[in-house]
Amino acid sequence: MNPHPDLTVGVIHGLGWLYLLMFFLNVGWTVRSFRRDGHYHSLFGVEHIPKAVVWAAFSALLLLVALSHLAVNSDPESFLLRLPLWFKGSVDAIIANPISYFALSMVVFLAVVCLKDWWVQPTVAWTLFNASTIFLALSMTDYDFRQIVGKPDNVPIVGMLYLVGFFTWLYFYKANDNDRRVAEGRPLHEKELSDQVLVWPDLVYTEMVCMLLVTALLIVWGVALPAPLEEPASAVKTPNPSKAPWYFLGLQEMLVYFDPWMAGVVLPTIILVGLMAIPYIDFNKAGNGYYTFEHRKFAVTTFLFGFLPLWIGMIVLGTFIRGPNWNMFGLYEYWDVHKLEVLNNVNLSEMFWLDVMKQPLPRPGADDDILVQVGVILKREWLGILVTLAYLFVIPPLMAVTVFKKFFVRMGFIRYMVLATLVLFMASLPLKMALRWAMNMKYIVAIPEWFFNI
Amino acid sequence: MAEKKKLTTAEILAMARNQDKGGGEAGAGGSGAVEQSSDAAAASAPPETQKPVAAPKSTADILAAARAQGGGAKPSATKPAAGAAPKSTADILAAARAQGKGSGGDAAPAAKSVEAKPTPAKKAGVPEGDRPPLKDMVAAVKAASEGKPVVAPKVPVAKSKPKLPAKQEKVSRRSVMAMLSAVAITPFAAGWAVMGGLAGLWSLLVARFMMPNMVLELPSQFKVGPPSDFPPGTVSEKFKASRGIWIVHSDQYSGNDMIYALLSICTHLGCTPNWLEGEQKFKCPCHGSGFYITGINFEGPAPRPLERVGLRRAEDGMLEVDKSLKFQEELGQWSDPKSFYPVA
Repeated sequence: MNPHPDLTVGVIHGLGWLYLLMFFLNVGWTVRSFRRDGHYHSLFGVEHIPKAVVWAAFSALLLLVALSHLAVNSDPESFLLRLPLWFKGSVDAIIANPISYFALSMVVFLAVVCLKDWWVQPTVAWTLFNASTIFLALSMTDYDFRQIVGKPDNVPIVGMLYLVGFFTWLYFYKANDNDRRVAEGRPLHEKELSDQVLVWPDLVYTEMVCMLLVTALLIVWGVALPAPLEEPASAVKTPNPSKAPWYFLGLQEMLVYFDPWMAGVVLPTIILVGLMAIPYIDFNKAGNGYYTFEHRKFAVTTFLFGFLPLWIGMIVLGTFIRGPNWNMFGLYEYWDVHKLEVLNNVNLSEMFWLDVMKQPLPRPGADDDILVQVGVILKREWLGILVTLAYLFVIPPLMAVTVFKKFFVRMGFIRYMVLATLVLFMASLPLKMALRWAMNMKYIVAIPEWFFNI
Repeated sequence: MAEKKKLTTAEILAMARNQDKGGGEAGAGGSGAVEQSSDAAAASAPPETQKPVAAPKSTADILAAARAQGGGAKPSATKPAAGAAPKSTADILAAARAQGKGSGGDAAPAAKSVEAKPTPAKKAGVPEGDRPPLKDMVAAVKAASEGKPVVAPKVPVAKSKPKLPAKQEKVSRRSVMAMLSAVAITPFAAGWAVMGGLAGLWSLLVARFMMPNMVLELPSQFKVGPPSDFPPGTVSEKFKASRGIWIVHSDQYSGNDMIYALLSICTHLGCTPNWLEGEQKFKCPCHGSGFYITGINFEGPAPRPLERVGLRRAEDGMLEVDKSLKFQEELGQWSDPKSFYPVA
């Protein structure tokens, strides 16, 4: 008997209930489609068929799938509806490789922004929702995936992903609506269809219903998914992998690429201060009090870049993909403590002195005068220091005369420099990650003598 | 200011009420004509003249005057008092306060001034008996501002009376205030003194707490066994759980066969790495830092090698670790003979 079975009767029944839920949801969508979507002019030679027929067929299929799951009572291993191995293998290969993972998250981000007119259509969005849920359901037939995603700690992360998707959709849906209105010269949605209601009783009543629902959800959640308790903490034994709370996994991922002083103190401070500075560096008065994308392209895109690939993407990476020894594992891969990944990395100074100059690294002697030591260290790291200074002081003026020309003119020197510095710091994370993966770059400036590494 | 206003607002009402009664009685008593005329004067003259006057003079004076005028409703027994004008502000206010409270301090002059006037002041102003001085002051204010006598003075005696009682009053109030404030401050002073004393005592106790009688820490120097316990090319995890060190016997660092003790604290953020025998490396589970058997960092974010602690061969032939000594490779301290035991 396999101790780690991909499928058990319990799992199959659970999936059956999930498919049944999907069936009911799609029946509802079929009704909506029948009322709103209109008709095909001609389908398979039959004239005037309502478009809802597609959804009806899909619902029927879901019902059949659900019933076939719920009917299983023995021999789960012979159940046929499961992920093929080639699919698992290719997904693992993409996910477990940091370069392809990050590229994938960037593709998703760009698709969200560039294809906004297409994917926010209700029918398309509903199809995407169905696809993601079916992907999740099929993936649950894999033992390792179930172990990771089904962990009580991680279930809320899955819920959070759906919430992120929903709210992103909501924003773009409303923004598209308003952008169309502006293009056609009609008043904004918020102006024309103002749905203002009274605080009492409308808002308070809604809030009370929400409060009851959330309380019920929390109780069910607390009973159904008890918080996992682990062994007593020990100063000399660190769990492997050792993970931060989910909302800090983005920070933990930053720590993989930066010195703790940078990733733990400097960058979080800059993130917080930068968010506070937004009202002061924002000169765009449009977009105040209504949803829009066209009026705030730069702001929305920059925010989504920082939020989707650099924050949500890192949380997903840290939650589902980082495994023992902080190695990356595919979604369907066994978390092998002894997975061997060669991650040797070197500092820029080592690259320069050893590979380019073919010289040993200059090292300050322990007995040298302090000034001599400083000189040797600066000589060792001159290239990295130069690159860093150029990044922070040469690129902003360059951007000011090229891509950010309009910004510079409208913002003035100080506000522009603040903006440019914040953007550069945000870009430093993906840049450093790419350098690590592509060139095995550890630190651009590495002065461990002074605990100063960039 | 606010205080005075409050006081006199109530005052005005009380006075007005008394005045009404007094008027009735006076009418019955036969001196109605005087009363009527004075009422009329009080009602008509002050509000109209006050406004133009208000601009140049200080607000306090004008308010006091207005109240006195409105509430008093007396035949204004006043005279041009040019001398009173310059210093009138303080005096007038003090006098107004004294009168408002009806303090008995200056009963004699007040009584005199009342007697001096042929008015029903005794009946009317029972609680705030002496209004005549107020009248005087109002007149003084007006005279000072307008530069002319407002009403023909009937009682020249009242001239200097408001000032004298006012000055005495001020002095006595000051001393009373000082006494009161001293009494009021005493508990606070005592409280602060007690708190300061307690804080000092507490600091001493904290200082004492920092120097316990008995320290439960393990001694920083301890013996780990003879060198033969650690065969070449091995990492001993025997003391990792209890003392947080690895004993390593290796010849990979600088080519010399040696035993050294590495601190099992990752130099990135301080997690405890694991020794992976198969990969021959220390690997940190928090951010993936990796170290060779020598302790040199080679993968992940750790910026510097693991730290060595002191190791020497004791007189009895046992290896003795000294955790109070730290040796950092990047500072060139690993060449220190105290940081390793050479296996010759």
